[in-house]
Amino acid sequence: MNHRRSTEPHVTRRFSLSRMRRTPLSRAMVRATTAVGAVVGLGSCATNAAQDTWQPKGPNAKMIDDLQQPIFAVAGIIGIIVFAAVSYAIWRFKDRGQPIPEQTHGKPALEITLTVIPALILAVVGVFTFRVIFDLAKTDDTELVINVTGQQWWWEYDYPAQNEWGITQPIITSGQLVMPVGTKVLLRETSRDVIHSYWIPALNGKRDAVPGRIHTLRLEADEPGIYAGQCTEFCGLSHANMRMEAVALSKEDFATWVANQQAAYQSPAEGTLAKEGESVFLNQCVRCHQVDGLKRPDGSLAIAAPDENVWSGAAPNLTNLMTRNTFAGAMFDLLRDACRDDVWNAESAEFGAKYLAGVDEACLNVNDLRAWLRNAPEVKPMYANPALLADTNGKYRGMPNLGLSESDIDKLVAYLLTLK
Amino acid sequence: MFKVGSKLFLGTTGFAAVNLVAYLIFVERLAIGGVALSMLFAALIGVSAAVLMINDGDDETQPRDTALTRASMWPLIAAVGLVLLVLGLVVSQLYFIFGGIVLVAALAEWMVQAWSETASDDPAHNEFARRRLLHPIEFPVIATLGLGVVIFSFSRIMLAISKNAGTVAFMVLSALVLAVGSMFAIRPALKPALVSGICVIGAVGIVAGGIAGTGAGLRPQLAEAAAEDHFSHRECGPEKAKYFDKKAMKTLSLRSNVAAVIELRDGKLTADVYGFTRPQQQVSVPRANPVTFIFRNFDSAERRMVAYLGTAAAAMPVDGEMAGKHGDTNETCTQLIPQGAEQALTITYNKPSIAQDNDKPFTLTVAGLEGQAIEVVVP
Ligand code: HEC
Ligand SMILES: [Cu+2]
Repeated sequence: MNHRRSTEPHVTRRFSLSRMRRTPLSRAMVRATTAVGAVVGLGSCATNAAQDTWQPKGPNAKMIDDLQQPIFAVAGIIGIIVFAAVSYAIWRFKDRGQPIPEQTHGKPALEITLTVIPALILAVVGVFTFRVIFDLAKTDDTELVINVTGQQWWWEYDYPAQNEWGITQPIITSGQLVMPVGTKVLLRETSRDVIHSYWIPALNGKRDAVPGRIHTLRLEADEPGIYAGQCTEFCGLSHANMRMEAVALSKEDFATWVANQQAAYQSPAEGTLAKEGESVFLNQCVRCHQVDGLKRPDGSLAIAAPDENVWSGAAPNLTNLMTRNTFAGAMFDLLRDACRDDVWNAESAEFGAKYLAGVDEACLNVNDLRAWLRNAPEVKPMYANPALLADTNGKYRGMPNLGLSESDIDKLVAYLLTLK
Repeated sequence: MFKVGSKLFLGTTGFAAVNLVAYLIFVERLAIGGVALSMLFAALIGVSAAVLMINDGDDETQPRDTALTRASMWPLIAAVGLVLLVLGLVVSQLYFIFGGIVLVAALAEWMVQAWSETASDDPAHNEFARRRLLHPIEFPVIATLGLGVVIFSFSRIMLAISKNAGTVAFMVLSALVLAVGSMFAIRPALKPALVSGICVIGAVGIVAGGIAGTGAGLRPQLAEAAAEDHFSHRECGPEKAKYFDKKAMKTLSLRSNVAAVIELRDGKLTADVYGFTRPQQQVSVPRANPVTFIFRNFDSAERRMVAYLGTAAAAMPVDGEMAGKHGDTNETCTQLIPQGAEQALTITYNKPSIAQDNDKPFTLTVAGLEGQAIEVVVP
């Protein structure tokens, strides 16, 4: 049977682009394509992209990389072949008014071949993929366990007692995950509110943190340094500001860090600005933030009650705030730019000492910290509007604006600087 | 160009737009209602566009001038719905919702009927058009409602009669359903009137029974259990509790991704913590977050695990029902379970360990077993 085109000419023309003014359109398309191409091209050339998935810095990420490189190559070659074939067909058989060629149906040999070849390719890819998936799921070679709890919009880390690491009492921190290099670290992730996802691209793939479940993720870094990451499961208003950093220290430096985290609390000396800050802290902040060892004037331990004041039930523990380099879900630096660059760009031999120095008055990024204390929801969107508390049982999502005076902020900054 | 259908949908779209604007101005800017109305508006735009594009799906039937209308019950039902709706504004949300559903359904039926009656000269064709449009909606809705009433009535019967009578009633009824169903299947030529008659009689019987059952009230055991709160009261001693420990083996456990599995073996208690390679004597759990422990008993005696929740009101089992009931004892527990059984216990620790006396940390113990405890550390 001879198939002729049944569509009438005028119908075809109505939907054809040929009557549109050709030049501006194609010029616009060329420009757009160039722009997108340039962005993609330049983006993939960035040398200091902290979250580059193609630069593994540890064995787990290396395993993924070793898998994705060949798969990408195979997929790329197939992609080029397909694109070339399609382009050829488009050009060669484009509508020049010729009759529609004979339509054939059913060529078992061809169809079987075209099914079997992709199936074989997928099977080969599948075998290697499954091997990597199972290797990445291993937990029986763990050397250090760290609990990770996500909440809107920051990560909390706590280190269960592990005597081999000198951890005799629980350590709790936020934002920056501190871990020893060359060590098989296992994260036990969960969430206090919605689903989040933990991802340090240089060290491993992503793993969702799901309320009510505990998911494990292996991390191991080869070299001391800071590895940036980001929450990768949309979790509400400040999802984009929910960041994290993994800090790898040499084993000796890690031991120093652990010892410091467990050191007893030291109240500031009487008569100092910091001491005044401590009492402001007791009045304003302790209802949400725990500082382990901090005592009320009557000598009782100050126990924070974030479970009564914050929707997710938690606020960062500030006991050793100034030993970390970031705050508020690693959205802000605690270090001024110059000091921060000094730590980030340090040679791996010097990195540990620089990181362990923590934050002092000279290096403190006082502007961002003060802005945070002055009005946190203004610098990080958090739904912390006191007028809307009815929906959340009177609890805040994030840190509210506490209406502090500038002099209270002076005192608080002086006090926070002592938390090392 | 604009025929009945497209006019209808364009009108509805305009109405939705007005509603949306009014809602945004008068009610609230940032609320789920605004989103819902916007979506409705967008959907209606889509439907209107489709209806316009297919030219109402009409062939060239000419509507008549003189309408062949029949009497309609829908205005009456719509009026009842409207009254319920307005009444609901004052009395209860339930009336409001029910009235709204009745009103919308009646308006839809009314509109389709009015449209179909003027669709063509041929009344038979008009009725066909109406059925074609509405039966796919009417039949499932009516069937769901009808079956719902029958099932609900049956459940009232079961709650009222004694346990043994319940078993018998269930068997008799299912046998009847099977028999009648088989009969229908064997004789497909049965008169439709006979088939529907039998079904109606059965349904009416069950509904009547349900009404009678509701009148008679719960059977005595159920009434007593509800009054004495057998279902949610936990007794955590080493001995078997009369109600709480009933059917302990039938409790489902949450197997995956628990914080720790607490095992009792040879009189020793150990914690298998997900992620740790060796058994632990301590479990570290995040504060203010529900955590689940599984208790496994390998002892030959029946055992229960007890969680000590601290001196302050520091923690509570996640199950709100349980939380209030055991007041200030500050512990919760699993049921008493035999060898080889397991149970889950979910707890939220709201206060950190440092809020506790040093000699009384949060623990997991086994009732009646001295000297064995897993410490729960809350940083
Ligand atoms: C109603 C509870 C609440 C109160 C009161 C409160 N905060 Fe916060 N604070 C939070 C929450 C929640 C966060 C985490 C916000 C985020 O990162 O998204 C936070 C974060 C912080 C951080 C960043 C910590 C980190 O490691 O990332 C600092 C510093 C801080 N608060 C200081 C204070 C000070 C000082 C006060 C007293 C003046 C105070 N907060 C009062 C809830 C509170
Ligand atoms: Cu998140």
